[in-house]
Amino acid sequence: MKLWQKIFLSSLCLIIVAINIISIVLLNNTHKLIIEREQSHAISEYEYFAASFSNNAIYERMRSEKIILSTDDIKKIGTELVNGRLKNQPAAIYDSKRQLLCSSNPPEFFQTNDVIRFVSGISINSDSYSTKVFNFSNVRYMVVCSAITVEEQTFFILTASDVSEIYTLRDKQTNFVRQVGLISAAIISLILLITVIILLRPLSRLNTYTKAIADGNYKIRIRKRGSREFRELADNMNIMADSIQINAARLEKIAEDRQVFIANLAHEMKTPLTSILGFADLMQIKKNVSDKERSEYAGIIVEETKRLRSLSGKLMELIALGGTETEKAPVSLPAMIKETEASLTPILTKNSVTLSCSCEDITISADEELFKSLLYNIIENAVKASAIGQQIELRAGMSDGNVVIAVTDHGIGMTEEDAKKVFEPFYMVDKSRSRKAGGAGLGLALCVKIAELHHAVLTLKSKLGEGTTVYIIISGEECL
Amino acid sequence: MINILIIEDDVNIAKMIKATLSIVNYNGHCCYDGKSGAAEAIKGTYDLILLDIMLPEMNGFQVMEIIKNCGTPVIFLTAMQDVADKVKGLRLGAEDYIVKPFEALELLARIDVVLRRSNKTQNIITYGSLSVDISSHIITDNGVPVQLTPKEFDVIVYFLQHQDIAVSRERLLSNIWGYEFEGESRTVDIHVQQVRRKLGLKDRLITIPKLGYRLESQDK
Repeated sequence: MKLWQKIFLSSLCLIIVAINIISIVLLNNTHKLIIEREQSHAISEYEYFAASFSNNAIYERMRSEKIILSTDDIKKIGTELVNGRLKNQPAAIYDSKRQLLCSSNPPEFFQTNDVIRFVSGISINSDSYSTKVFNFSNVRYMVVCSAITVEEQTFFILTASDVSEIYTLRDKQTNFVRQVGLISAAIISLILLITVIILLRPLSRLNTYTKAIADGNYKIRIRKRGSREFRELADNMNIMADSIQINAARLEKIAEDRQVFIANLAHEMKTPLTSILGFADLMQIKKNVSDKERSEYAGIIVEETKRLRSLSGKLMELIALGGTETEKAPVSLPAMIKETEASLTPILTKNSVTLSCSCEDITISADEELFKSLLYNIIENAVKASAIGQQIELRAGMSDGNVVIAVTDHGIGMTEEDAKKVFEPFYMVDKSRSRKAGGAGLGLALCVKIAELHHAVLTLKSKLGEGTTVYIIISGEECL
Repeated sequence: MINILIIEDDVNIAKMIKATLSIVNYNGHCCYDGKSGAAEAIKGTYDLILLDIMLPEMNGFQVMEIIKNCGTPVIFLTAMQDVADKVKGLRLGAEDYIVKPFEALELLARIDVVLRRSNKTQNIITYGSLSVDISSHIITDNGVPVQLTPKEFDVIVYFLQHQDIAVSRERLLSNIWGYEFEGESRTVDIHVQQVRRKLGLKDRLITIPKLGYRLESQDK
């Protein structure tokens, strides 16, 4: 069952039950009050009748100057009295043995078992009045009965009054209340239904949105409407959608990067392979290969094989870096720079480029070999970018609490567009040039990985034709 | 003379393709980026274009968009094994694609198929006293028709189209019989022997140990 149906039905039931209970209680209460009033009325009526009976007996005794009245005399007095009663106020007198002495119409009423049993239940000595309501041929009588001593004989006098009207009234009221109850229940249920549906409408809206998000539409956001709970829920769901979107985008980016990486890797591997296979094949299938051609083809095969070797080497390094924990130890930055400089000397002399280093005495926590390889790669790139006779400057020092190492060359530089992409794996600003230099396009990607392991950031400033500066910014926390 | 435009950014690959083409006497012209390649292709002086996809300036698909109205058949060269890329290339109007790395003869075979489709190859090849009409499947020796089975005919045509090239049995199998015959190199030997016998090519169609066969060109 749906929530709105549950809320609607349970509220409706509660309301109907409450209305019924209240009206029944009210009606019964009113009825009881009326009955009580009628009772006291009947009792005074009874007292009047009893007094008349007693007085008439005395008067009759005085008039007939008897010492004692006979039962018949008393019966005659009683008969006269009861016959003088109004039609709707019958009365009867029973003797001490509770035998009917005389009664007004309808006499059958006073002989019904219920009435006789009622009379039998009244003790002779009691001076209080017993009242009860009897139903006789569709007429309700309120009966008052008590024992009375007249002329030294005990009689039971029973007066009744027709109270049907009260009961008819009660039934009428009950019917009326029932009708009003039904109509009001219908109206209430209608209002309730509309209210519940309106109140719960945001829920179905939330549901639709959630489904949309589940279906992968992460951009969708829920408008905040409805009661506070729904607004809060919408807020939280929007927060959830935000984080889903961010995470999905992140995963997408990772997947995309991986895709690009694999595509690039395939390209970078297949390009040299194509040349190698092609030229080797040519040498095999061609009938006459001149010496000049042979040496050219072989030269290309060697060159391309070297390219593959460099690529696989760099690739292995990159893979190894991803999995290993770095073993960091305190190392002196100037010493590391000096060692890197020494290992760079062959390249520097080959390209006739000079390197000038200035470094503050800083000790950092780093994996020495990896960090040297980072420095080596960056300076090597600077050398590749430089022309013969140019100088490369390396400056290392503290800035804003971070250690900053800046490597500046005055070489070819690059455009802003290239500078953005240069840290991507396999990106080469000038493909043919870097390939001739044996580059695989993975050097800076390696540097980024190493920097990450040292909580360092690589940034780059470059201008086409003026040179490039690469900054290694190491968080101050790594500084000892 | 068949003119083929090679649009390939890697200098060595371009050189290799050009050298491969030269052994069947096709003339290759190299362009090293998309822009100049497209400009060259638009001239319409080429019988076929070999187009790399990953190109600087303008990628292969963009070049394809520009040149597809020239009517010159295009074969894509791609390092990707992505089916979507191949489909994209073919949908753009390319005749075929070759996945790098490829063997020289595979390249030539693909080129051959495309050229034949566009009727750019010679229909009649003469070799000494032999004359082969490829379209009508007739081979004559000094004007006298020689009876060859269809497969034997295919074999001699293949050798005539690849003179002076060492052709492996596998290559012959895959080109003439199709890949499902892989491994049955005896079939090739029998057919080559039949061709030799029927056409008197004993000294010309020579066996190269461990590799296959080669038809020597007549001028040497």
